[in-house]
Amino acid sequence: MIVLDTITKTYLLGKENVNVLNNISLTIEQSEFVAIMGPSGSGKSTLMNMIGCLDKPTSGDYFLSGENVSHYNDNELARVRNQSIGFVFQQFHLLPRLSAVKNVELPMIYAGVSKAERQSRAEEALKKVGLSDRMDHLPNALSGGQKQRVAIARAIVNKPKIILADEPTGALDSKTSISIMEQFRELNEEEGVTVIVVTHESEVAEYANRTIFVRDGMIQLPSSSTRGASE
Amino acid sequence: MSFMENLMMALSSLKAHKMRSILTMLGIIIGVGAVIIVVAIGQGGEAMLKTQITGPGNTVELFYQPSDEEIRSNPNIFQQAPFKQEDIRALEQIKEIKSIVASSTQFSTARLQQDTVDVSATGINQAYVKLNEMKVEKGRSFSTSDFLGGRRVGLVSHVIQEELFKGKNPIGKVINVANQPIEIIGVLEKPTGLLSFSSMEVYLPFQTWRTIYGSSDYTQVTLQAENSDQLQTAGKKAAKLLNNMHNTEDSYQVLNMEEIAAGIGQITRIMTLIIGSIAGISLFVGGIGVMNIMLVSVTERTREIGIRMALGATRAQVLTQFLIESITLTLIGGILGIFLGWGTASIVSFFAGWPSLVSWQVVLGGVVFSMIIGVVFGLLPANKASKLDPIESLRYE
Repeated sequence: MIVLDTITKTYLLGKENVNVLNNISLTIEQSEFVAIMGPSGSGKSTLMNMIGCLDKPTSGDYFLSGENVSHYNDNELARVRNQSIGFVFQQFHLLPRLSAVKNVELPMIYAGVSKAERQSRAEEALKKVGLSDRMDHLPNALSGGQKQRVAIARAIVNKPKIILADEPTGALDSKTSISIMEQFRELNEEEGVTVIVVTHESEVAEYANRTIFVRDGMIQLPSSSTRGASE
Repeated sequence: MSFMENLMMALSSLKAHKMRSILTMLGIIIGVGAVIIVVAIGQGGEAMLKTQITGPGNTVELFYQPSDEEIRSNPNIFQQAPFKQEDIRALEQIKEIKSIVASSTQFSTARLQQDTVDVSATGINQAYVKLNEMKVEKGRSFSTSDFLGGRRVGLVSHVIQEELFKGKNPIGKVINVANQPIEIIGVLEKPTGLLSFSSMEVYLPFQTWRTIYGSSDYTQVTLQAENSDQLQTAGKKAAKLLNNMHNTEDSYQVLNMEEIAAGIGQITRIMTLIIGSIAGISLFVGGIGVMNIMLVSVTERTREIGIRMALGATRAQVLTQFLIESITLTLIGGILGIFLGWGTASIVSFFAGWPSLVSWQVVLGGVVFSMIIGVVFGLLPANKASKLDPIESLRYE
C-alpha cells in the first residue's frame, strides 16, 4: 500500500522556488491498477519519481507498505527500488550490450541472487512475457514491443509489489500498445501486483481501475475518484 | 555483487570499445615496459659488475698492513715477505678453502748474452697457473714435476720475446735471471682485455725461485673457495689465523671485494632509480590517459548508470563497477607492459652483451603498481559516476 501524506517538492529554479508538487495526499491500495494523467509540466513525472523512490520529498511523508521511506538515505532507497518496485520506461532503457536474459538478470545482481538462480528466474520471467525464444537476443535485434516485454520481465523478476510504468506505450504502435497493456492487466489480476501507469493516452488509462489527474502539482478531483485526496 | 561479476562486466565494456581500450592501455604498456627495461638492465649491469670485481673464481686476496707499532719496531718490515711457509700449511687446514694461490715477486735483471732487461721474477705454486689461466702461445706450461723438482725452467711474457730475443723463438734458450741460468719452456699469450698491459715478467716454479733468491716466504696469497658464501668465512678465518700466528692485532686482512661491489651496486642502483623515475613519468602520463578515457566513458554511459540505479544499484556498487573497470584496464596494460619490457630487455642484452635481470620482485611491482595507477586515476571518474542523480541520468540522451 502506498500512502502519500501532504507531499511537497520544491525545486530551486534560478533564484525562485518552484513548487512542483503541492501538498499531495494520495493512497493507492495493494493490487490496484492506477493511471496517472496530466498535461506536461503538471508534475506527474515528479510524482512518479517520488513513488518510485528515485526522488525525496521536500516535506511530507511517504509510507510504502507501512514504512516511512521519506527520510531514507540513498542506500536504503536503492534497496527499496530493488526489492519493492519494478520500473518500465517509455524508452525501454535496456542495456544495449546485454542480451535479453542478461538485462532481466540485472536487478537480481544487485539483490545478490546467485548466478544459477538468476539464470532460471530470468528465463522464467521472459517466458511469462512470451519471449522464451528471444532470450539471447541483444536489444537492437528486438522489436519495440519485444523490448518493452523484456523491460516488463526485468521489472517483475524481483517480485516487487509495485510496477511503475512511465508512458510504457509512448514509443509503440497502437496494436503493440494493446498487447503491452494486456500484459500489465494480466500481472495485476493474476499476481496481484499494484500497477501505476503514467500516461496521457486515455486508451491506456482505460485499463486502470482508477485514474488520477494531476495539474499544477496538485491532484484534481474528478467526480468518480475522491478516495485519494480525502485521506 | 561479487568481484567476478564486476570483472566480467568490466571486460565486456572494455571489449565494446576495443580500439579505445587498446590505445588507453598503450600508455600503461609503454610506461610499465620502460620501467621494467630500465630496472632489468640496471640490475643486470649491477650483477655483471659484481661478478667482474669478485671474479668468477670466488677468490679473495690476503694482504698485510702492519700497524704503526710494528713499523716502529721494525722499519724494514715492508721489505719482508709477510707469508711464511708454515702460514700456508696452517691455511691449508681451513676447510672452506679450496686452494691457496701463493707467489713471490722479486725485481731483478735478466740477461741473454750481452743484453740485459729489468724483469719481475715471480715464483708461483701450481694453483697459480690454474687460477690465473696462464696460457702459453709457444712451448709448454709448467708440469707437476717442474714444481716438485724445482727445475730451472721458466715462462716469459710476450714482451720479453720481443725485447730480449728481438722476436725470435726463445723456446729452449737459456737466460740468466739474477745470475742463475733458466731454460725458457714457454711464452705467455699477449694479455687481452682493457685493463691489462704487458710487462716484463718471468715466472718460475716456487722451488726454483726459492733457490735463486734464498727466501721461502710469499709476498702474495690468494684464497679460493667453493662459493662466495664460503669465501667470506674462509677469508675471515684465514685473517684471524694469521693474526694469531704472528701475534698481531689486525695486520692480516682480506681485501673485501664485497664492500667494493656493494659500493658499485649502490651507484648503479641510484642510476637505475633516476632513469626509472623518468620512465615512471610516462607511466604517470599513461595514468592520466586512463582517467581521461574513464571520464569520457562515465559521461557516455550516464543513462546506463541511471538505469542501474533505478534497478537498485547503490552508489557504492556504481563506484566499484567503474573502479574495477579502470583497474582491469591498467592491469591488462601492466601485464602486457611486463612482457614488452621483458622482451625488449632480453633483445637489448642479447645485442649489447650486457645481461638483463627481470626479477620476480620487478614483475610483482609492475603488476601492483599498474593496479595502483588504476585505483588512483579511476577514483575520480568512478566517484563522478556514483554521484550522478538517477532521475537526470535516466533522461540523459
